[in-house]
Amino acid sequence: MAQCPVCGASVDEAAVRATTGFTAHGASEMDPTKGTRQFHDGKWVYFDSLECRGKFLTSPETYVRAS
Amino acid sequence: MDFGYTPEQQALRREVRAFIAEHVTEDVLAERGSSESNTGRGEGGAMKRLYEKVYERGWLGITYPKEYGGQGGDRMTQYIVEEEFTRVDIPVGMGGSGAPAIMAAGTEEQKQYYIPGLIKREISFALGFTEPHAGADLASLQCRAVRDGDEYVINGQKMYTSSAHMATHIYLMARTNPNLPKHRGISIFLFPMDTPGITVRPLWTMQNDPTAPIGTTYGHQRTNETFFEDVRIPAASLLGKENGGWRVGAMGLNLDRVGASRYLISVRRDEDIVNFVKLNSFDGYAPAKDPAIRDKIAELWIEAQVCRLMTMRSMSIVEHGGNFTYEGSAEKTWAPEHGVRTTEAIAQMLGPYGQLLNGSPHAVESGIFAHNLQGAFQSGINHGSTQVMRDQICRRGLDMPRK
Ligand SMILES: Cc1cc2nc3c(=O)[nH]c(=O)nc-3n(C[C@H](O)[C@H](O)[C@H](O)COP(=O)(O)OP(=O)(O)OC[C@H]3O[C@@H](n4cnc5c(N)ncnc54)[C@H](O)[C@@H]3O)c2cc1C
Ligand SMILES: [Zn+2]
Repeated sequence: MAQCPVCGASVDEAAVRATTGFTAHGASEMDPTKGTRQFHDGKWVYFDSLECRGKFLTSPETYVRAS
Repeated sequence: MDFGYTPEQQALRREVRAFIAEHVTEDVLAERGSSESNTGRGEGGAMKRLYEKVYERGWLGITYPKEYGGQGGDRMTQYIVEEEFTRVDIPVGMGGSGAPAIMAAGTEEQKQYYIPGLIKREISFALGFTEPHAGADLASLQCRAVRDGDEYVINGQKMYTSSAHMATHIYLMARTNPNLPKHRGISIFLFPMDTPGITVRPLWTMQNDPTAPIGTTYGHQRTNETFFEDVRIPAASLLGKENGGWRVGAMGLNLDRVGASRYLISVRRDEDIVNFVKLNSFDGYAPAKDPAIRDKIAELWIEAQVCRLMTMRSMSIVEHGGNFTYEGSAEKTWAPEHGVRTTEAIAQMLGPYGQLLNGSPHAVESGIFAHNLQGAFQSGINHGSTQVMRDQICRRGLDMPRK
């Protein structure tokens, strides 16, 4: 389990990444309700929601240090 | 200088109209905007068959050379064909397809492979530029591509990759050298969407509403976030030079702004409003006779003509090999803002009912006008926002300082 760096909620990394099916031309699709992630400074950071990720984006330093 | 159409051009327009009347049947219209129709591979096959016929007529890839599956024709011909098909919401142009950049920067092999496929609509690109922290300031993108022998390895994420769930390929901007100044360490890659390691996460916005009725501008299709994890692609997927991607991308985007597509989106809305006013009356009140409404309609019509003339001018600059710099930016500001004004005017005429979306019992014509109003803002954001376009006009067109 990862922790959302913004609100502290736990995020199931495997669920965020789980494939739910395929697009018309073969890319994996995923379930948007399971949270999301952000490629930050060469590493994946996980969030429970787009809202939290939005906050993170405005000042990543605040949250990276805190987490 | 001649602003009229030649007899041949007028004949072509009639021919296209007759073709549409005959071949754009109910089953084609029903497939419009479905996720499969994007590449002309619709399950029902009606759209695919239509595209085959359009291709046989020589109306796809008109301005592209014959050796790449095009027609070697001129932009005005392209424009007329596209204008007519836009009326039934069927894309036949190459705007936003990635083709101009491939023609300009691609290897012979890339041109041979991609251009005919794009023209026949068997190949389509999702555009992977924007990232969560790199929109208007695109050059600060972080998605990385690292050379490993004969391959590149991609890691990163893209935001608002609109057709990622429908496209066969992706046109990706990634950082190949993090140590160079930000504009100079970027490259462009072309590769199939089914390459292992790509994941697509659906994203719905105000402009992308799944309940929007078919025929809405943008409305019914979602956009996406797209993730890349250890995606290995052949080194030959590089478009142009390594670290030369910024110029290729900017040039491609600029060329994509030329021509018909922006203006044509607004044509539909302009026709909507005129038809709506002419065809409706409410308990004896005929909007077509209301002086305030007539004023507004005339004003929007004048705006639409400005739009059309700007489009013609940039097409003619490109046609004659001229230096095309800020004209696309001017068009890209005016056309979307005009589109917003048009949809807003319709909403105002409809009053509160004009705000109701599809599904509401009192929605007007399945809420199409309300959905169009929401969707209208998108074209002022993507492909370079109107604020950024204005800045480019000042810098490139008016020679003003950067800041
Ligand atoms: C529905 C939709 C579909 C899209 N499809 C695609 C796609 O298929 N592929 C793709 O790569 N991208 C796509 N985009 C992304 C689009 O290109 C970006 O949204 C756009 O570049 C703006 O970036 P941003 O959203 O990060 O906003 P920001 O960059 O955060 O900008 C926010 C606002 O600030 C303004 N602003 C920013 N910088 C300046 C400045 N220096 N001077 C003045 N004003 C400024 C902007 O104009 C804007 O109004 C899509 C967007 C939408 C909404
Ligand atoms: Zn959170």
